[in-house]
Amino acid sequence: MKEVTQMQTRYEYGGDEFIFVQLSEAMSLEANFKGIAITRKLKEASLEGVHDICPSNASYMVRFDPDVIPPEEMMARLQQIELEMEGLDDITITSRLVDVPVYFNDPWTHEALMRFRDRHQAPDSTDLEYSAKINGYDSSEAFIEAITSAPFLVSMIGFVPGLPWCFQMVPREKQIEVPKYVRPRTFTPERAFGFGGAFSVIYPVQGAGGYQLYGIAPAPIYQKDQTLFDFQESIVFPKQGDIFRYRSIGEEEYQAIREQVEDGSFVYHKKEIQFTPGEVLADLEGFAERALRRLYHD
Amino acid sequence: MIKVLKPGLQTTVQDRGRIGYYEIGMPPSGAMDKYAYTVANMLVGNALDAAVLEITYLGPVLEFGKRMKISLTGGEIPPKINGQPVPMWTTLEVREGDQLSFDFVKGGARVYLAVEGGIAVPLVMGSRSTYTLIGIGGFEGRALAEGDVIHTADMIRKPVAAGASVDASLIPTYGKTHEIRVVVGLCSYRLTEESKETFLATEWTVTPEANRTGYRHRGERLQFVEREQPFGAGSNPSNVTDLGYPIGSIQVPDGVEPIVLLHDAVTGGGYATIATVISTDLDRMAQVKTNEKVRFVSVTMAEALDARKDVQTKLGRVAEMIESGS
Amino acid sequence: MAEKTAIVSPLPGIFYRRPSPDMPEFVQAGESVKEGDVIGLIEVMKNFYEIKAEADGIVDQFVVNNEELVDAGQELVTLIK
Repeated sequence: MKEVTQMQTRYEYGGDEFIFVQLSEAMSLEANFKGIAITRKLKEASLEGVHDICPSNASYMVRFDPDVIPPEEMMARLQQIELEMEGLDDITITSRLVDVPVYFNDPWTHEALMRFRDRHQAPDSTDLEYSAKINGYDSSEAFIEAITSAPFLVSMIGFVPGLPWCFQMVPREKQIEVPKYVRPRTFTPERAFGFGGAFSVIYPVQGAGGYQLYGIAPAPIYQKDQTLFDFQESIVFPKQGDIFRYRSIGEEEYQAIREQVEDGSFVYHKKEIQFTPGEVLADLEGFAERALRRLYHD
Repeated sequence: MIKVLKPGLQTTVQDRGRIGYYEIGMPPSGAMDKYAYTVANMLVGNALDAAVLEITYLGPVLEFGKRMKISLTGGEIPPKINGQPVPMWTTLEVREGDQLSFDFVKGGARVYLAVEGGIAVPLVMGSRSTYTLIGIGGFEGRALAEGDVIHTADMIRKPVAAGASVDASLIPTYGKTHEIRVVVGLCSYRLTEESKETFLATEWTVTPEANRTGYRHRGERLQFVEREQPFGAGSNPSNVTDLGYPIGSIQVPDGVEPIVLLHDAVTGGGYATIATVISTDLDRMAQVKTNEKVRFVSVTMAEALDARKDVQTKLGRVAEMIESGS
Repeated sequence: MAEKTAIVSPLPGIFYRRPSPDMPEFVQAGESVKEGDVIGLIEVMKNFYEIKAEADGIVDQFVVNNEELVDAGQELVTLIK
């Protein structure tokens, strides 16, 4: 685990109620897996006085009540968990594999992105065409293929309720990277699928946004009324540590899923999967194959 | 029953906040000035987590549908009942048909109106606080509008007689320049040493955007340490790999304007955070107005905890004073 | 007989004399206004608040320029009744 030993953890107070722990300055699957392992252990400990445990991309944050657990004690507790943590080969992570349909090049996000060409790096092409080109793909189709052929790890939830930051589980050289818009859009459709930096996102609600836009998901990731099966326990669907496979769909399937969402019958197709970060990092392609087989055939 | 004749600029239902959902990207919301909020509830004998109205800059006009105790705390937006000035930080009694209105804001920015029993709105994820971005909590997930009718709940702990008040020594005062204490840290390693000093030495001016989401400050430009940006961090030197933002944390997108994130803020993102406002001074921040001056003062954790103790001691004294009927 | 009164801003924020950048100003000095007429906007907290004449009168002068920052209680316009 060369990458992990190179990571330098930074422990910082965020005022008197937060501790922020930066596991690595750079994003990597290693750093994210380490964050998952530490924060899950911390949750299991159910310490009195801990209000929030928020894993993020390459860091995590804890909100605590310093009247119940003094800051130095809280800090020491977190450092202890890191010290006692087993290597990434020995931790088993259980998470959900989820089929997430996306209608690429759809008319709605197309209309939205065309409205804001003057805020984009490449006013004469679409976001898909531009992103394909700067990542060395010769067509939008080949670029979509790259997005849909390997799964993404939900590496962080936040910004607004339910927004999943997703990091593709491929070697560094295959990782897609795109800039954000030069100036943010004032409008993004609800459920738009976008990409910024090394992360893909689905916008939970309509609003401003700066990520490149490629398509739209028919199924919600945030549902205030909680009528769908997947939202019974929470108004947001994604959980950090989930593994999303974006599946390219056409207009017909998009409309069919929209109808299911409307009539309340839609359920995400998902399976449980167990893995050790060590085995995943050793063979990312093998893991992607295993994950897709488990999701669609087991 | 309380009828909203005029809503004011932004009047929302708030309580202690929606704690425990930060992980899913849900900020806590809740009263911006917790001290004033807590004292308001104490003055009408409510449970300390009862919902109140938070009034910003411009007060509403409200008509009471029955006799009840009320109290007003926080910044100085002078209240009137049926046109006659009434004191703040005091238990008042209103009768059916009485109208509450306000003069122009004199000091501070936010006033809390507690009514006997608290404001009756449904609990959403453990809180009655309004979070307008996605429209949940509070009164239909939004600020009050003309014609709304709100009801009172029964979260009464112990009735308080009209006339109870808080000693002047326990009432915060607000000028036009504010010292806000911060713990420097988080990603402050990204700022140059010179800019760290500039951050603490500058008298910042609060911009007109300042709201429950955050306060933006104009002043000096800050510089970040030059580096090759790490993978995933984004291209601007103020960018970091997306991370969680503590409540009260301060970020400086592109080094231009420091933003203090407050109770309705985004929970995470890709800007380096350089310091965090201590919990007690979030209350003070809530009373800072657009155009006013802010200076950030660096304190240690021990000092932050002392400040916290001080506030708790003061609240204890307020409770005693009300209890003893003085 | 001319009595001067001032319209003050109830809010801190940015004062605008036009409803939007590409529209004409609400009112000019020397023009008459009726009670309730909008004479400007104050932008604060990403909200726009309408400043209205409190009585009939003639606009004497604007004390504050378009897009100038104002404090709560600051005079914006004087009216002659």
